[in-house]
Amino acid sequence: MTLADRIATFRAALEEWLRGLYHGMISHPAYEKIEAEAEDEEDGFMLACFPDAFGIPSPVSYYTAELLPYLEDEYEAWERRLWDRRSLVERKGHQYHF
Amino acid sequence: MTKFVFFGGKGGVGKTTVSSAHALECVDGGFETLVVSTDPAHSTADVFDQEFGDEPQPVEGYDGLSVLEIDPEREVQDHLQGLKRQLSSQLSAAMVNEVDIQLEMAHQTPGAYEAALFDRFVEVMRTADPYDRVVFDTSPTGSTLRLLALPDLLERWIDRLMDKRERSIDLYEKAAIGNREPRRVMDGDPILARLRERKERFEFAGEVLRDDAAFYLVMNPDELSIRETRRSVETLEDADLPVRGLVVNRLTPEPDPDEEGRGARYLRQRVATERDRLERIEREFDVPVVATIETRVEEVRGSILEAVAAELEITIEGEGSVQSQ
Repeated sequence: MTLADRIATFRAALEEWLRGLYHGMISHPAYEKIEAEAEDEEDGFMLACFPDAFGIPSPVSYYTAELLPYLEDEYEAWERRLWDRRSLVERKGHQYHF
Repeated sequence: MTKFVFFGGKGGVGKTTVSSAHALECVDGGFETLVVSTDPAHSTADVFDQEFGDEPQPVEGYDGLSVLEIDPEREVQDHLQGLKRQLSSQLSAAMVNEVDIQLEMAHQTPGAYEAALFDRFVEVMRTADPYDRVVFDTSPTGSTLRLLALPDLLERWIDRLMDKRERSIDLYEKAAIGNREPRRVMDGDPILARLRERKERFEFAGEVLRDDAAFYLVMNPDELSIRETRRSVETLEDADLPVRGLVVNRLTPEPDPDEEGRGARYLRQRVATERDRLERIEREFDVPVVATIETRVEEVRGSILEAVAAELEITIEGEGSVQSQ
């Protein structure tokens, strides 16, 4: 193995490590956070669409009901999140890797 | 140009009579006219002595007059059934039940009737090309008129929903760093498409109601009716839909001067009170009284209807001859 080869191997390993480190420290938590934010937005959307799920009558439920056929995944996830979300702290806190 | 004429008012004041009479007036003026009734009791059927249905049907004996009766209950059921069909073809079996409950609930909400009616009204306005005039005899619940004042509000609501949806999709797309597939994508999002379609409908309704529609309120010369009418005028005015005129129906006929007796005394007294009220109406409302109609002993139908039409003084402007009696 020539010196050049060894340097190349070393650089490849370093690069992988660095990428992993960057991913673990920066990008992974970042997209998790953004995704959680997106989920929160979506929850707001769902709540605005289906307030009667909480017993609040809404004049637009008749119209938003039309969206239900397209909302399979969202609806399920929304319900799950509602059940899971015991407190805001837990929801907001779980994304930080303590 | 006024193409759509709405008659509203408290239950039992004679909206159907007045709107049918106005429709006759339009027909006499040479306009192809459609009467749209939302009364579940279907009193148009009684006025014209003929059964009508969900499709416009020509009235026998009158050229250029058709009637369409909308059944809000059926509209709601149709909407529900349509959504359910769509559901079962699109959702997994596990979710169908879940969503089913939600759907049923949405169709039980207090506003469902009005929403269904509103939808149908918009539909009628969209397909009103064959007619020169469309006369709406709105349902006695009174909320139909209120709903017509809503497109702006609903539009804003839909805007908010769309904004929320867009923001969450945008975040999902941003969360997909690198080569990850985003959980949702903006292009071709069916939810946004559906909301946009709704929004366009509300916009259309709002435009038509502001530009091509006229509103008249029918009332009786009694306190309740006056109060209700005042509320309706305010609601409509708040929504930039000014009321063109008031029709005072069911005025008591005055007895002949030589008549003396309990009946005649009673009638004279009633006429006096009603005249006071009528003056008050003319003084207190910004809206002109366009017609006063005396009460009839019999049910208004056939030739009596034409007599009532002659008492109406709602000018119908537009192309063709102007007709007012």
